Formats: sequence, C-alpha cells, structure tokens
Amino acid sequence: MSELSMSTRRLSPAAKAALGVFARYATIIGLILMIVAFSILSPDAFPTFSNFINVLNQASLAMIIAGGLTLAVIVGELDLSIGYAASLNGVLVTGLVVKNKLPIPVAILFVLALGALIGLVNGLIVTKLRVNSVIATLGVGTIIVGLAFAYSSGVPIVAGVPEAFLQLSLGRWLFGIPNPIIVMALVVGGLWVLVERTAIGQEIQAVGGNPAAARLAGISVDRIKILGFIISGVCAALTGALLASRLGSGTTSAADSYLLTAFAAVFLGSATLRDGEFHVLGTFIGTLIIVFGFNGLNIFGAPTFSQYVFQGAILIIAVGLSSLGRMLAES
Amino acid sequence: MNGFAGEAGTRPASPVVAVNAIRKAYGGAQALKGVSLSILPGEAHGLVGANGAGKSTLIRILAGLTQPDAGDILVDGKRIVIATAHQASELGMSFIHQELAFVPGMTVLENIMLGLPKKTRFGVVDWPAIAREIEPVAKRVGVKAPLGANVKGLSTAENWLINITRALVRKSRLIVMDEPTAALSPAESQRLFAIIRDLRQSGVAVLYVSHRLDEILELCQRVTVFRDGRSAGELAGARLTRQTLVEAIVGGAVEGLQKSATPVAAGEVALSARGLGRPPKVVDVSFDLRKGEVLGLGGLVGAGRSETARLLFGVDRPDMGAMTLNGRRFAPKSPAAAVKAGLGFVPEERRAEGLVLTKSLGFNLGLANLNSIVVNAMLPLISGRRRKTLAERTIRELAIKTPGVETPVGQLSGGNQQKVVIGRWLQSQPEVLILDEPTRGVDVGARVEIHRLIRALASRGMAVLVVSSEPEELSDLCDRVLVMAEGRIVSELVGESLSRHGIIAASYAGAQERSAA
Repeated sequence: MSELSMSTRRLSPAAKAALGVFARYATIIGLILMIVAFSILSPDAFPTFSNFINVLNQASLAMIIAGGLTLAVIVGELDLSIGYAASLNGVLVTGLVVKNKLPIPVAILFVLALGALIGLVNGLIVTKLRVNSVIATLGVGTIIVGLAFAYSSGVPIVAGVPEAFLQLSLGRWLFGIPNPIIVMALVVGGLWVLVERTAIGQEIQAVGGNPAAARLAGISVDRIKILGFIISGVCAALTGALLASRLGSGTTSAADSYLLTAFAAVFLGSATLRDGEFHVLGTFIGTLIIVFGFNGLNIFGAPTFSQYVFQGAILIIAVGLSSLGRMLAES
Repeated sequence: MNGFAGEAGTRPASPVVAVNAIRKAYGGAQALKGVSLSILPGEAHGLVGANGAGKSTLIRILAGLTQPDAGDILVDGKRIVIATAHQASELGMSFIHQELAFVPGMTVLENIMLGLPKKTRFGVVDWPAIAREIEPVAKRVGVKAPLGANVKGLSTAENWLINITRALVRKSRLIVMDEPTAALSPAESQRLFAIIRDLRQSGVAVLYVSHRLDEILELCQRVTVFRDGRSAGELAGARLTRQTLVEAIVGGAVEGLQKSATPVAAGEVALSARGLGRPPKVVDVSFDLRKGEVLGLGGLVGAGRSETARLLFGVDRPDMGAMTLNGRRFAPKSPAAAVKAGLGFVPEERRAEGLVLTKSLGFNLGLANLNSIVVNAMLPLISGRRRKTLAERTIRELAIKTPGVETPVGQLSGGNQQKVVIGRWLQSQPEVLILDEPTRGVDVGARVEIHRLIRALASRGMAVLVVSSEPEELSDLCDRVLVMAEGRIVSELVGESLSRHGIIAASYAGAQERSAA
C-alpha cells in the first residue's frame, strides 16, 4: 500500500486528475467498450433486445446477492457465508415446497427469515465475540454447508417440483419482463434508497467511514453492523430461492459460485463513480460488467476454463481499481 | 555514525533548506498561495500560524508526502524535487510528528534502525555492534529506556527522544518538530529544549512548529509566520515579541473573551455524579453540573480527566458510583444511550473519533441529528434540502471556513474540523455537552471563537463540562473548575481562587498529597 501510494505521489497534479477520472469511470467505460466490441463481433446474437433482457435476467440473481453483500462491506465487514447461505436456502425452499407441501409464499418467507437469522448469527459473532468477519463468516458458511448436506443428504431435490414454483423465475410480468428482473429492480432500488436516502443509511455510511466517530456521535455501531449482515443474509436467501426455481431443483452447492461473482461486483462497484467507496449503484454496474462478460464468452463459445480466468482476473482488477481510487482520494 | 557533524561557530550563511514561492492546491482549496522560508544551519527556526495557514502542507511537501504545484525547494542552494519520504531522509531531513509512528513489539534499538542499512556479521544483523554505536547518541539525547526495551510501554516524552535519536543516527541536518510539547509535561518540555539547544551547537537546524508562543520566544532565533497560505513575515531579534507574533498570526488585534463578571445564576442540577469510579484511572468522582454553567475539569496529565468524561458519556462503564440526569438515575450503557438521554460529546481526538473524514461537512454535521433532517418520522428519508439549510446555518453561526457544504471535512483545517464536531451538537441541542480538549491544536483566533461559542451555549441554558489540560483555558472559560489528581477530585475553584495559577497550584498540590498518602 505505502509503496503504491508513493508511486501516485510522484505524479503531476494533471496526471493525478486524469488517473482519478480514469479510476472513477474505468468500469463504466469498460462496460460500454465490452458491449460495443461484442456487438461488432457478433452483430446477430449479441445486440438484440431479447439478449439484453436475457443478460439482465442472468444478472438479476447475482445482483440481488451482491446488493446484500454491499451492505455488509459498507459497514466495514466481509461476508463469506453468502454463497453457502444461498445454496442452503435453495435446497430448503425446494424441500419445503416438494416434501412439506408448504404454500410457495410461506416457504419463501421461511427461507428469507432463515437468511436473516444467518445474518444475525454472523453479526452477533462479529460484534459481540469480536471475531474477525472473514473467520466468522467462513466458519458459519462451513456450518451451513453441513446443514445443507444434513437436510438433503447431498441428493438434489428434483422430482415433484410444482410448475408454480418454476414460474417464480420463468414467469413474466409487466410488458413481459421476466420476474427476476422485477425482483432485482425492487431490491436494488430499495437498498439504494436505504443507504443513500434514509437516516439509517447515514448511520450505515458513518459506521463504515469511521466506527469510533460514529459511536461517539451516538450511533449504535454494533446494531448497524448486525443490520448489514442481516440484509446480506436475506438477499443471499432470496438469490438461493430464485436459483432453485430457475434450476427446477434444490442442489446443495448450486449457488456457491455466487460468492466470487458478488465480491467481484462489489469491488468493481466501489471503483465506480466514487473513490473506492462501496455503494449500491456501483455494485449494479459491477454486476452488469461481469454478466455481460460471461454472456459474451458464452456467445463466442469460449471454453469453460476461460470463464474462471475471466472471473478471477476481473476480481483482481476490481480490487486494484478500488484501492487506486482510494489512494488518489487520500493523496 | 552520529549526526553531530557541524562544529559550533563555523556557520555558513547559506540556508540548509529554503523554500521559495511554494503554491499548492487541494481540490478547489488553495492551501499555499506562495510561501517562502529559509532555515540556517544551527538555528532553531519557529514556524507559527493559525490552523489552516499552511504549516502542515509545507511540512508534507518537505517530507516528500505531496508535491507543490509551483515554487522551488533548495537544499544547500541547489534546486531539488523531493519525490518520496525516503528521498527527504536522504537529503538529511527528519520529521517528528504529534502522532509518533513506532512498530509496537519491536525494541527501541530496532525502531531507531528501522529502514536503515544495518551492520552484519556472517550475514546476520550484528545487534550488539549496532547497539555500541547507537548507545552514545541515545545517551546524549537523554533516552533513559534501555535500547533493548520494548517501545510499547514508553511515555510520549521518551518516544520523542527516541525519534530525535533516530534523526541523529540518520545524520539529519534539519529536524522538523510539529507541536513537540503538546503531550509533554513542563519538565519534559524543558528537557527537550535543552536537547534542541545542544543540537544547535552541533550545527543541526530545527524547524519548530507550535502554537505555544512562549516556547517559540524562548527557543527560536527567527520565526516565520504563515497566514492564509502566505508568508506573513519573518521576525527576529528585537522585532520578535509576543505582541508582534500575535499580530502577524491574526493579521490585526485580537479581541479577548468576555466572560460575564458575575457568574450566570446557575440553574438546577442537570448531571450529577456520586462516587463514580473505574480504577485505576478514576477512583472517586463526585460533582454537580448545573444548567447554564460552564464547569471545568482540570488536572495534570494522567489525573483521570478524559477517563471521567468517558464514564459520563457511556463510552466506558463505571465499576462504582452512580449518576443522575435531571434527578433521574442515569447509567448509559453506550454513547447511543447517553445521546438519547440528552448528552453530547466532543472527543479529544477529532480526526480519529469525531469525524468521518471522507464524508462531506453536511454529512458530518447531520450525524448526531438525523431525526431533524428526515422528511418525517414515519418516512425516515433524509431531506437533502433540510440538511443543506441546517448545515449552512451552522457554517454561518460558527464561521466555519469551507468552500461549501459538500466539501469533505478531511480537507478542512483543524480549527474548522473542531467547529464541525461542535456544530453537530449545536444542531441537536443536548442538555449536557461534554467537551474534551476543545481547543487543542487550534489557533488563537479559532480558540477565541470556540470559547465564545461555549459561553453562548451555556447562556442558552445548556450544562457544559469542559475537560482541558490547559489552565489558561479553564480559567478563561469556566465558571467553576474541578481539579483532579490520581483519579479523584482534589479541589474546587470558583470566584477569586479561579485563576491559571490557582489551577496549576491545585493540580500539583493534589498530585503530591495523593502520592504522599
């Protein structure tokens, strides 16, 4: 960090300003360039209305879980349990509908409540036991994997999934927009209003910016951090439930890979428009970059390994841009 | 290996370091509008100026932490660019700041040698040989701690001496000291002055940055005054007096604080403490704080003042004793609970504990006061307009110097940052306001303004507790002063007995009594 920040100090003010603009808009420029490039390379398949709707639909589940994670990182913590929590809740919601014959809304409310509970446990461990959040959520996440196996014995729940459950994610509403996009829009909008426009949002930002100052200004830092974890857990559960509906099955590790996607999206987002500060709108743009990238790779039939390379590389680029922004803001 | 290179008496007239017409802007704010300064070998050169005058910015530029937009830096008459902190060190400059940076868990010697090439034997660092070389330097500076001791438990004064040793080991020809005595006792300060005089004899130059004019007058041969990012003058010889310094800093005459001759008829008791304690720092504290009064809490460093304030505000919880607020039992479990009950707190470390530096002035002002900037209680959305109106009113009332409401508070000067922290409570109007070192590191002008503001709050009926290590501040500002020693309140000063002298006498008497008992 200090070596790197040294290197930015050597720059002239003009170069620094230019670099600042680059750091702030690089993600958006990257997104536009990617869309333009894919459109030129694949004019028939890529730049069509139906493909854009398809990409947004793909992005919805990632965006919901990444949106939740954004709240956890704004309050200054990391939540590594989200992928596992999504998987568990996906299995559970399918099981509740198929095995226990619960009405679908009740089953969904049940898993959202469980998501909140997982977040609460994470938050209590971090704030009351003062365990580092990486360790705490990794531990909780691993326990969750165990619970998912205990519930399903590792066997995917496929048979007897009712059509109505599949329609949750396959159905369309309002001008034929797929349901997940509508859910995502509500979640993103809700989270954005919460963080940027409410009193609690101010407290959330203050806790992330300087916990000591927030505490002495009369803010309950622990409560705000727990809230961040709970929102993260609820969003993970929602993503898990929608994924189960989309796959038509409850599989124990179905949503695990969303962890990496969510982190990449959140860090890309922090480099967007603001100097290394996490925010909901940024996460949205970050998610779009990742999903458009995947979509493009798919259309060109790129081999599976390249998708891993893409995702790993984009995570590193994202964190790099994010800390570059922060360095420039400080110098 | 030691840095006592030059010899007394042979002083070349050319400056070790000179800066010429330096300009620097941060964002929209022009921090330096052309400052010049030259430091001769073997001189203690004072640098004074109000907060925001540009002292810190110049020091950052010399230290290679930031680059000037225009102007020249000359070392030994040669124009140079200081691109990194490492380069500043190579050029023979050392910087000792208020917040001293040591690696905890390492020894004194290891910290002194940090970043320096070390002697090795068979490829292994030869600490005994290094220690033999450093020992005389450390001894001359007056480091009492053994070189092998862990730096963790050492006093601030000892840390300063270790830093000076480090500077000498690096063969520094210029040592920049930023508010060196802020955390030192009078005796420790005197020891530091003796060392600075000793350094001068050896040809080492010292740039001494301080708000404490008495020290500047005692120590420095020449003094450069900064005002609003410009050099406002260089004073030396007969022209260097307290009067000329103050005039140069403020750019005119300073108006004193008007404390009402008769103490305000204090109202009913707002906050009351009985037998409050959290050993070892706070042992037995009892007092009544009345509405409309400014009560001071003084005493020597380590007397337990700040710790008492933390108990009152629910930051720490007392092990014994009880408090009441407006006659009702008051036992805050957290600062949040204290705020809810009607308390406000301005902490000692404003940057670390008072502000979210990356956020705007409006954001920071609104923090303790979110209820009054939301649209309504049912719909707790922040009204940008209401926040802006409130922030602008506070900026006007407190005369906060800022480009605007949206400016990040990190870009403001210390005095203006402090006004933001106080302004936060101005908006929410708590019944009891506790201020810990309200004017530490704040310039003469802002200090008067802050004092006036505190008096105004009390006259509106607020109960104010001011914790301060400066006897002048307490005697100027307070209606009544409690002096603490070793965790207890040892005397109460009011009326005639409330003076700078009285407070100092009570502090030392109390400390002595306690240690004798």
